[in-house]
Amino acid sequence: MSEQSESDRHQHKNALAVSLIEANNLYRSYRNIAAVDGISFRVETGETYGLLGPNGAGKTTTMRMLSGLTPVDSGTLRVAGIDVVQDSRSVREIMGVVTQHDGLDAGLTVYQNLFLYGFLIGLSKSSAQKRTHEVLEFFNLRDRSKANVYELSGGMKRRLAIARSMMSSPTVIVLDEPSTGLDPQSRNRVWEELAILKESGVTVVLSTHYMEEAATLCDRLSIMDRGKILDEGTPDQMILRYAPKEVAQIRVAPGSLRRVRDYLNKHEIPFREVGALLSVTGDRGANPDISELNGITGVKASYRAGNLEDVFLTLTGRELRDG
Amino acid sequence: MTFSSNEVFKIRLRSITGIWLRHAVAFIRYWKFVITWVLVEPVIVLVAVGFGIGKLVNSVEGADSYAEFVTPGLIMGSAMFHALFETSWNAYNRIENDVYETALTAPITVVEVTLGDVLWAVTRSIMTTIGVASVAVAFGWLDGWLAFGILIPSAMVGVLFGTMGFLFSAIAPHTTFLTIVFTLIATPLYFFSGSFFPLSTLPDWVEPIAWLMPLTPGVHIARGFALGHLDITHLWAAVYMIGLTIVMWPLVIYLLKRRLVK
Ligand SMILES: Nc1ncnc2c1ncn2[C@@H]1O[C@H](COP(=O)(O)OP(=O)(O)O)[C@@H](O)[C@H]1O
Ligand SMILES: [Mg+2]
Repeated sequence: MSEQSESDRHQHKNALAVSLIEANNLYRSYRNIAAVDGISFRVETGETYGLLGPNGAGKTTTMRMLSGLTPVDSGTLRVAGIDVVQDSRSVREIMGVVTQHDGLDAGLTVYQNLFLYGFLIGLSKSSAQKRTHEVLEFFNLRDRSKANVYELSGGMKRRLAIARSMMSSPTVIVLDEPSTGLDPQSRNRVWEELAILKESGVTVVLSTHYMEEAATLCDRLSIMDRGKILDEGTPDQMILRYAPKEVAQIRVAPGSLRRVRDYLNKHEIPFREVGALLSVTGDRGANPDISELNGITGVKASYRAGNLEDVFLTLTGRELRDG
Repeated sequence: MTFSSNEVFKIRLRSITGIWLRHAVAFIRYWKFVITWVLVEPVIVLVAVGFGIGKLVNSVEGADSYAEFVTPGLIMGSAMFHALFETSWNAYNRIENDVYETALTAPITVVEVTLGDVLWAVTRSIMTTIGVASVAVAFGWLDGWLAFGILIPSAMVGVLFGTMGFLFSAIAPHTTFLTIVFTLIATPLYFFSGSFFPLSTLPDWVEPIAWLMPLTPGVHIARGFALGHLDITHLWAAVYMIGLTIVMWPLVIYLLKRRLVK
C-alpha cells in the first residue's frame, strides 16, 4: 500500500520535471514524403544525447528543427520550456548550433569568423574579443587565428565550427554529424573536446552514423531510421536489448567460402557477409558455436562483443553503413 | 509560410549591424580589387562620356554642358549597379556558401539578415557616389552645396535595388541565371533612365514607360540636386521609389524564407 503510493508520487514527480528538450510527435515532410515521421524524445540537462542512424534517416531535419532552421509541420518542441515554433530566437539564445557542413565564412580569417559571430549575437566588442580568445584557446586554434578558412584542415574546420557555436556560452549545443568525413586522429580530437565540454556541464545533442561516436560520447541515444525512432536507451542497454553478447568474425580464404556458408546454412546459424568477412551472430545472448569450422583450412575466427551496429541490424535488418 | 509577430515587430539593431559589419570586413579584406569597381570603372565612364561625347554635344536642357547633365545620371547608374550586384550575385553566393544559414543559427531572423544586407547595399551605393562625385567635382562638372543632396537619391537607389536584387538571388538555381539581372535589368535601366539623354527625346510611346523604370526617379532627383533646381516632381519621384520598395519587401522576405528556412 505504502509502496504503491511511493511509486505514484515518484511518477507524478517525473511528469512534472521539465526536461531541457522535449519533442513530442515531431513531424516534417518534403513533397508529402515524411523526413521526420512523428518522433518523440527528451534530453535532460547535462546529458549527451545522440541520434544514430544511416543517411536519410531524418537526423539533419530533426537537428534543424531544434534550432528553428527548419519549420515544424506538426508536433510540439520545447527547449528549456520555450516553444521552438513560437519563439525559436529565444531558443537560439541558449543554444549553440553546428550544422552539417560547418558553414564557415570563407571570406574571413579564423579570428574574424569567431569575433564577427560574437558581435552578431550581441556581445560587446570587448566581450566578443575576450570570448574569441577563450574559445581559440580551448579548441587549440590560437596559432591559426590569422589563417584563412580555406587554409585549414578538415579537422580544424570542424573544430572552428564547434568553437563558433560556443561563442554565446550556450547551455546546450546541437551538432549534426560532428566527425563525419574526418580522419581518425581528427575525430578523436573532436571527441576529446566534446567530452570536456560535457564535463563543464554543457548539454550536447548530436547526430551520427558512426556507432563508435555514439558509443564513445552518448549517455543515451536513439536509433533512427526512415524518419522514425525505433528505440532509445543508454548504449549498454541498447546492446543488451538487441545485440548478441558476442559475435564471431570469420575471415575465410576465397577457396573455402562455399564450405563455410554451407555449414552455417545447414545448421541454421545466422550470419552476414561483408567482403570476405563473415559475422556470425548466433542466437541472441548465446555465443555462436562455430568450433567445427576450425577444421577447415583458411578459416580464422575471432570473437568481438556485440555493438551498436548489431543493434541497428537487429532493429532494421540492414547495416548502418548501407544507408 | 507564416510571419510570426515576433519577427516583424521585434527587430534587433545589433543583428542588422552585425550582418553589416561582416560584409564590411569581408569587403575591406579585398579592397584593392573592390576599389577598382567602386571608383575606377565609373570614373572611366565619366571621363569618356564627359570629355568624349561631351565634345560632340553642345548642351542639354537645363545644364551648361553635357558633362554636367550626365554626371548625376552616371552616379545613379553606379549606385544601382553596386546595390544590385550586392544582393543578387553576392547574396546568391552567401546563400550557397551557408553564410546566411550560419547567421541564422544565431538568435536573429530572416528579416534582420535582409535588413543588414540592404544596409550594406546602401553603403556601397553611397561609397561609389562619394567616389565618382568627388572626381566630377574636381573636373568642375558638379558644384554647389546642393550637390550633397545627391546622397539622398543615392541611398534610395541603394535601398530599392538592394531589395530588388534579392528577388533574383532568392530564386536563382545557379549563377548563370543571375546574368539576366544584368542583361534584362541593369543594362537597359542604365541607358533608358534619363542618364545619358533626356527622356523627352524618346519616341512618345516609349517615354511613359521610361518614366516608370525604377532608376528613372533616382536620376531625376539626383539631377535636381546637381543642377540646383528642385520642384514637386522630385517629391513624386521619391514617393514612387519608396512605394516600389515597400511593395517588393514582403515578396523578398517570403522568397528568402522559402530558400533559407527549409
Ligand atoms: N530540403 C529538403 N528538400 C527535400 N527533401 C529533403 C530536404 N531535406 C531533407 N530531405 C529528405 O528528407 C529525408 C531525411 O533527410 P535528412 O534529415 O537530411 O537525413 P539524415 O541527416 O539522417 O541523412 C531524406 O530522404 C531527404 O532526402
Ligand atoms: Mg544529415
